[in-house]
This record gives sequence, structure tokens and C-alpha cells, in this order.
Amino acid sequence: MLELKPMINALLRSKIGAVLLLIQVAITLAIVSNAAFMISDRLTYLNQETGYDEEAIFSLSVSTFDPSINLVQQYAQDERDLRAIDGVIDAAMTNWMPLSGSGSSSSMHLVPNPEIGTGVRAAYFTTNEHMLNTLGAKLIEGRNFYPEEVVHADNYDKLPNTTIVTKDFAEELYPDGSALGKVLYQGEDAVEIIGIIDTIKGPWLNDSRPANVVIFPFNLSQPRAGFLVRTEPGKRAQVMAKVEELLLKSESRRVFYGIEGLDESKASYLARDTLVMRMLVVLIVVLVLVTALGIFGLTLFNISKRTKQIGTRRALGARKSAIVRYFLIENFLVAGLGLLIGAALAVLLGQQLMKVFSLPSLSFTFVLASAVFMLIMSLVAAWGPALRAAKVAPSIATRSI
Amino acid sequence: MLWYYVDLSWRSFKRTPLVSALMVIAIAIGIGITMTTLSVYHMMSADPIPSKSEQLFALQLQTMDEGEGWFTKDDIPYQLTFKDAQRLMTDAKGDAQAAMVRTGFAVHLGDESNAPKLMDARATGRDFFSMFNAQFIHGGPWSQSDEDNAVNKVVLERSLSEELFGETNPVGKTVFLDKFLFEVVGVIEPVTEHTKYYDLNNGSFKRPERVFYPFSLVKELEIGTWGNSNGWKREMVTTFKQRLDSEIVWIQYWVQLDSPESKANYEQYLKGYIQEQQKIGRFARKEPKYSLRDVNQWMEYNEVVSEDNKILVLLSFMFLAVCLANILGLLLAKFMRRAPEVGVRRALGASKTQVFFQHLVEVGLLGLFGGLLGILLAQLCLWGVRESYSYYSALAKMDFLMLASAPIIAIVACILAGLLPAWQVCRTNPAYYLKTQ
Amino acid sequence: MIKMNNINKVYQTEMVQTHALRDFNLEVEQGEFIAVTGPSGSGKTTFLNIAGMLEPFSSGTYELDGIDVGKLNDNQRADLRNQKIGFIFQGFNLIPDLNLYENVEVPLRYRGIKSAERRKRIERCLELVGLGARAKHLPQQLSGGQQQRVAIARALAGEPRFLLADEPTGNLDSLMARQVMEILEEINREGATIVMVTHDPELARRAPRNIQVVDGQLADFSLYQGAPNKEQTAGDIAARAAEA
Repeated sequence: MLELKPMINALLRSKIGAVLLLIQVAITLAIVSNAAFMISDRLTYLNQETGYDEEAIFSLSVSTFDPSINLVQQYAQDERDLRAIDGVIDAAMTNWMPLSGSGSSSSMHLVPNPEIGTGVRAAYFTTNEHMLNTLGAKLIEGRNFYPEEVVHADNYDKLPNTTIVTKDFAEELYPDGSALGKVLYQGEDAVEIIGIIDTIKGPWLNDSRPANVVIFPFNLSQPRAGFLVRTEPGKRAQVMAKVEELLLKSESRRVFYGIEGLDESKASYLARDTLVMRMLVVLIVVLVLVTALGIFGLTLFNISKRTKQIGTRRALGARKSAIVRYFLIENFLVAGLGLLIGAALAVLLGQQLMKVFSLPSLSFTFVLASAVFMLIMSLVAAWGPALRAAKVAPSIATRSI
Repeated sequence: MLWYYVDLSWRSFKRTPLVSALMVIAIAIGIGITMTTLSVYHMMSADPIPSKSEQLFALQLQTMDEGEGWFTKDDIPYQLTFKDAQRLMTDAKGDAQAAMVRTGFAVHLGDESNAPKLMDARATGRDFFSMFNAQFIHGGPWSQSDEDNAVNKVVLERSLSEELFGETNPVGKTVFLDKFLFEVVGVIEPVTEHTKYYDLNNGSFKRPERVFYPFSLVKELEIGTWGNSNGWKREMVTTFKQRLDSEIVWIQYWVQLDSPESKANYEQYLKGYIQEQQKIGRFARKEPKYSLRDVNQWMEYNEVVSEDNKILVLLSFMFLAVCLANILGLLLAKFMRRAPEVGVRRALGASKTQVFFQHLVEVGLLGLFGGLLGILLAQLCLWGVRESYSYYSALAKMDFLMLASAPIIAIVACILAGLLPAWQVCRTNPAYYLKTQ
Repeated sequence: MIKMNNINKVYQTEMVQTHALRDFNLEVEQGEFIAVTGPSGSGKTTFLNIAGMLEPFSSGTYELDGIDVGKLNDNQRADLRNQKIGFIFQGFNLIPDLNLYENVEVPLRYRGIKSAERRKRIERCLELVGLGARAKHLPQQLSGGQQQRVAIARALAGEPRFLLADEPTGNLDSLMARQVMEILEEINREGATIVMVTHDPELARRAPRNIQVVDGQLADFSLYQGAPNKEQTAGDIAARAAEA
């Protein structure tokens, strides 16, 4: 029914137009499928659950420059002041902020140093019994710290002997049973796991184990310290606005900085990846548009070269729909072949990218999905020119230039 | 003849405004995207101090015991121990040298006039300013004797000086860093423009510090680092004194070596130093390595240009290629439609060469317009980049080289894309289009 | 001036060879006005295209003004065409975007003539065809006859020794056709050599010399009723030149 053979012959004769279209479709598929894959990879990373109610929590840091201030007392006072603010649910002092990109990590071992045993790395927070409530972390097993367990100090002379860990960390350390009640070693110092909480992310989202987090009941009062504050919904902005003034009133020989919401910390930590993702999205969208434009142009070119032929066909009785179909099928053939080559190119490009850069390997579903999408797009782009071809008057065939 | 071609091209644009606009837009988009990624890449990888980049060397020493590895490519720590840095500073065998560490203070005037402000401060040697071409507006670096005797002297960046003291010359005035009183000895312009190449451990594109003070004060005032500290050895470190004597690496070290001989001498000295230290049990490995990397090598080693940037540049050039393939198709269509006219011109005595150049001029002009529009687009994209990532604000800009190369890249690319269509149109048989039946 | 010796032109397609010209021989002297007739597909246009160096030929020799055309490269042929040959087409083939002035200017541009000199020539040529006042008009604003006169002006602007005309009156009504023919005769009187392909026997009869192309070969012109022979024609021209 379809005049495939003459069509292919015609294509072979008008090589340039067809070859160009083919190349373009192929390259575009290679780029689009790889970029789409990178975007999806990034999106998974950017949208990962952190385990926090990010909009309700904010952090602030302090640097105290007068050594005569008694830090243990001052920070205890600050915590009380923070909790007294209208709208604040809880506040806790901590060494580092979650999702901020800055933190401390250490290897926790099942046996004390110098014996060599299983070690698992985890980010750690040194804080107090208010931390779980402030973070909104859900206790799955065990209990929270008792206030008397918390070591309040400005040096490392006395260390805590209990800890609460995330379930991710617990499972990695004890894959076959509960970690509750087990003893961990940081060097020679032993701590007992008294609680296990649901997943929360530590300071580094790009860590290979971002949810390996342990919490120590150790209120270490050093000149630079930080507080996490959790507020009632909708009241965070007003609390953040007045917190600095309030705390400076109690002691002015210090500087507060880094007063920002957890969502803001996260956004600025992820800004770079967000940027790259946005650029990739722009690249893909524009690329697809440009390719559509190219298909449009090339179909127009093919048609303009064959105006007379179309007229002759029409004069010989071809219906308009037949002309439209002819060009759409021709476009389908070229785009289809281009997509086949493009799929191979995409895989090759993916492999090269993986070799040179630290990217996961390209999943073929993306190539397939991109190819289907591009096929539809190519047909849409060819539709207009094909309609235009159908409008060629049969009399063209008999007319001179 | 060139003007005749330009005139013909201009007429051709006017005749098919839509197709011409599409082509210009396609080029502009391709160039815009490419120039955006390329500009960021260019700024990131640009030599930050071309006049001296081959004389300034970042020094690394492989202090760990045999069997201890490091997370760097070549197993050498980025930074030095305090004791090595101090000794090298004392020996001063380079043409100039500066040990340095990132620290920070609450900066204030000790009265109520300004609220204390927490800011980065760099402890370094007095050679720092000459080594990294810092420009003094007032005063100068602290003296060698200030440095030797750990006197509280400070050099401020202009913006900070203006915040604290207004437009006046602050040399001789005092400022508090935390609780310590410092005397201002100099005011400088910002040390770097966009890449903070002298300290790549703490964010390569952060703005440079605005406070500089003698390195000898680190020990004297027991100032802790705001940068990274890494250790490999199990040792008891609870006091500051223990930290200074430990194997923890936390000090950055640059040395200026003006000539190859001076570099050779310095390497000789380093080898001697390592051998000497081996006698007291340090550098306990068969062949302890050291490394002297000049500015560009140091940037390369620290991967200042990230993978993402390279991928984006790669993708955007492929993107430009697709845009060109498009233009090629459109040009073919446009030029072939003009074949009858070309036939007439050929009959009237235009040679193939003349027809070919006429079309290349047209394509080149398209490239020029596309390139100019592309610059505008790139500016827009770069603005977007700056907005969504403030860390790049000094980087996402087009310098003169990039501005100039945008139209050149566009024209060259268009001419490449136009070669085939121009060739096609000039080799068509003129007689074919002149026939009348 | 034109000396064609055993010219062959073969069009080669995948399946068939077509002999457009077969051992074609022709000599044209300075100042002649020749009408070429022949049935459709006989090779008239091919002959004209080869004479105007728009198409290469397969074998034989072609000398134009003593220059062996077969030995020239494309650029040299283009220069020669530009300097010695003017074309007039059935379809006029004016460039639609250019006004009359600019259309006439085209061959002068390619010859690299200075602007002032171009202006002089263009104005003179447009005056000659009676369109001096309409230099700024675009071709589509003119009638067919006017367009053909512009085409003639364009052909004349380069002061060619040869005018090659392919059915110059084919698209015109008889009145306009006569006007165009009169202009051609006037040009011929001023010394240009004209070779004109035509279907119209009446026009052909007005040319001093007639030749007929049949199956790619020159037919014996003496068979043609009323055609003056070659010697007479040359003599006429010589006489006219002497009068002028």
C-alpha cells in the first residue's frame, strides 16, 4: 500500500538533507538521554528525605571572644532564654549543624583500640538531652538521654559513656540484630548504645552514608558553638528575627552568625548541584526545540526541492492526505534510523562519560524514553511542512519556474 | 566586492526574515549556552597571576610513616605540620616564602561604635604581600622584626578599613581581633579576583580574607585554625602546645623561586631537611616525597575546575554542533531556493569562486549577528547562574577574551556549517535553472 | 568569432545516453545575426548553453575569439563570459529583489568596474531600451516586454561582442515581440554579433542568417526557403558597417 521503495530511492537520491537530519537526530538523542539521566540522578539526590521538618528548625552560631566568660553557664543560660521565646518548642546546643556541609566524623569500632575490628564511620553531634526533641527525631528503640548523663564541660577531661545512633548506622554495624545495649569504641573510649532513632541525615548529604549519625550527651562549651532551635509552624521567621538581639542582651562580648533555617542551609549546601541540574534542564529543553526546528527546516528543504514532483503527483490524482502521509513516513524513516544510531551513540557517550567522570552507568530506559519522545517530536515538527506540501497546486507541474 | 556581498546578504536577510531570524536565533542559542559554560570554565581555569604563576610554588611534604596513605592522588598531604612550616620559615631558603593558615576573629574597635563582626583572617608571613602581588593603598607589610617577635600588627583590606575607619588612612590606628589589640600597618586591595588560588582547601572561589597578621602570632596567641586539620598518627593532642608539636597537618606553605637554579637549590635544601628529620625518626619511609607545584599545577592538582563544569562544557559544545547541523539544513534550503538567481549571476559572468564567497559572506554575517545575540543570551544565562549560586558570582562573568571570542566562534562555526550549502549552490549547473520550458 | 568543431554533448544517466549534440560544426563571423530554429529537443538550447560556456561539452573544440574554451578553467570561463557574452532568456530571469538599475549592474560588478563608470553605462543602456526613467523600479512592476528590455539592457551593459538569446520573445505578445526584435536589430547594426534561438518562423525570417538544428546536428540551411546564404550576409554586414 505504501510507496516505500520509491520513497527510499528518493531519500537515497536526496542524500544531503536526509543525512543531515539523521545526524542531528542521532546526536540529539545521545545528548538528551544522557542529560536526562544525569538530571534524574541529581533529582534523586536533591530531593532525598532528610528526616527533619526543615521549615520548623533553624540554627545559629556564636563566637565568644572574651575568655573571662564562663561558657558552661552562659550557654546553659542561652538555651533557657531560647526556650522561653514565644513560639519555640525546644532548643539544644550542638557542635555542628545538620545539612550544613561542616561537621565532625569519626570511626566507631566494635572493639577498643589497638585491636583491629569492624569500624564504621559516622558523623557525630555533641549535644544534650534536648536534641532529639529539637530535631524531631523519632525514637524507635531504647530511650533518650537522662539529664544527669549529659557531660557539661569546656574540655575533654570527662567523656560521655552513652550514645544514641540512627537505625542506618545501627544496621550497618549490627546487620543481624539489635544494636541496643551494645558497646562502641572510639579509640579506647567506650560508649553504650541506649537509643536508636529513625533516619536523619548528618552534615553531608553527598556522603556515601549520609544517615550514619551518632549523638553524644556531651555539652562541650567552647568559644565557638551552635544552637538548633525548633519552633511552632509559621513562627520561625519571627523567632529568627529577634533571637540575636535577645541573646546579646544577656552577654554582648560575642558575635552571633549563621542564623538560618535548615531548609536554607540545605539549599545553599545543594546550590551547586541545583545549578548544574538547572543548566542541564535548560540545555535539554533548548536542544529539543532546536532539533525540532531543524527537522522543520529540513523537511521544508526536502519539499521545496520537490515542489514540482509533488505537483505532478497531485496532478496524477494523489490526495492531499497521501502527500502528508508520504512526508510523514519519510520523516519517520529518517528519524527512526537516526534514533537507532543515536541510541548506540548515547550508550557510547554514556560509557565515555562514566570512564572520565564519576557518573553511574546510563540506564537504557532513558535512551528508550528519550527516543520515543523524540520520534513523536519529529513527527510533530514534520507535520507543518507536510501540510504545506499538500497545498502545492497540481498546476505547478505544468508551469515553468 | 566584499561590500557588494554584504549588501546582497543584507537583502537576502530582508527577503526571508523568518528563516534568517530562525538561523540567527539558533546560532545565538548555541553560542549563548556554549559561552556560558565556557566562560565559567575559562574563569575557573584561568591563570590567576600570569606574571608570577611559574615562580610561586605550593610545598607539600610526605611526613607519614611507611605504609600510611593519604587521600590525595600522589599520597602527599595538602598541608604541612606546624613544626615543618615554622622551621622552613626560619631557614627562609626560597626567594620569598609564606606559611599560612586560615583563622578567624570577631573584629571590633573595642567600643560601641561597631558591632563585632566575625570574619576570616589569614596568619601569614610578610612576604605574602609581595608574593601574591597585593597592592598597598596605605602603609605596607609588617616588618621582619615584627614577624620575628610576634608583634600584634595587622593589614586590612580596603573594604574593611572603610567599614571601620571610613575614608581616612588607618595606619597607626588599632583594632581588636577577638580580645587582642592590633595596630594597623597597611591597607590593601583584594588579593585575588575570583579564584582564591593561595588557599584551595577552603573553597576555591571564596573571597579572599580581609585581615592579615603575622604567622608567628599563631603560636604566641594560640590561635586555632578555621581550616582543615588532618592527622595520621595516634598521638595525645589536647593542648595547643601538643598540637604545635604534633604530626597533624594544618599549615599551608608557599615559596617563591625565581629561577630554575633557585628551584634546584631549594629542592636540594628540602632533601637535606628531610634527611635531617629522618635522623630524629620523622619521615619514616623509604623515599619520602616532597612536591613543589606552581600555581597552575596546584589548581589542576586541587581540581579547581570540577567535573560538572567539564561535562557541561562538553555537552554545550555538542549542543553547538546540533545547532550548526540545524543551520546547515536551513542554509541548504535557503540557498537552493536561490539557485535560479545564482544561475543568472553565473550566466552574467560570476565565477564559482565569486558565488561561493558571496554565500560565505552571507553565512559569516549570520554568524556575526548570532554571535552578538549569543553574547546577550550568555549574559542572561550567566546572570541566572550568579543568581542561583552566589558562590560563582565572581566567576560567572565574561571577560574581554570571552566577549571577543563569542562572535569569532560563531562566525567560524557558521562558516563551517555554510561550506557545504555554499559549495552546493555554486556547483549547480547554471544552465539547468535558465531553461524555460 | 565562434568556431565549433565536431562538438558532442552526451547526457549520461543511469540507464541511457542521450546525444544532445552530435558532431556539431558551426562558424559565426563578427557582426552576424543568426536565428537558430529547430524542433523541441533538437539541441538548440544545449548549443546555446555551450556557446555561452554555461555547460561543458563532451568532445570537440570550441574557439571563441581565438581562445580555446576547452582549455579554460571555470573561473577563466566566467571571466570570458562576463567580458564577451551577453545573455537574454525567454523567462527574462531578472533578479526579483534587485531594482532595474541593480539588475543591469550585476555583470559590471563581477567585472570590477568602478562605481562612476558603472553608473554611466547603466544609464546609457536603460536609456537605449527606453526605460531610463524607471531605474528604481522592481522587475515585478513592469510588463513582460519591459522586463525583456531590461534583460537586454543588462546583457548590453558589459558591452559584449556576443549576444546569446534563448527565445527572447517566447513569453511576449506579438507587438512586444516586434519591439524587442527591433532593439536586437538595432544592436546588431551597431556591431554586436547575435545568436538567437527561436520557434517563431516570422522572427527567424527577419534574421539575415538562419540555421536549423535537427537531432543535435546542423541541418543544411540552404534547404530553408528564403534564407540568405552566408556570403551574402557577411557582405551585407560589411556594407552596413561601411555606411555607419
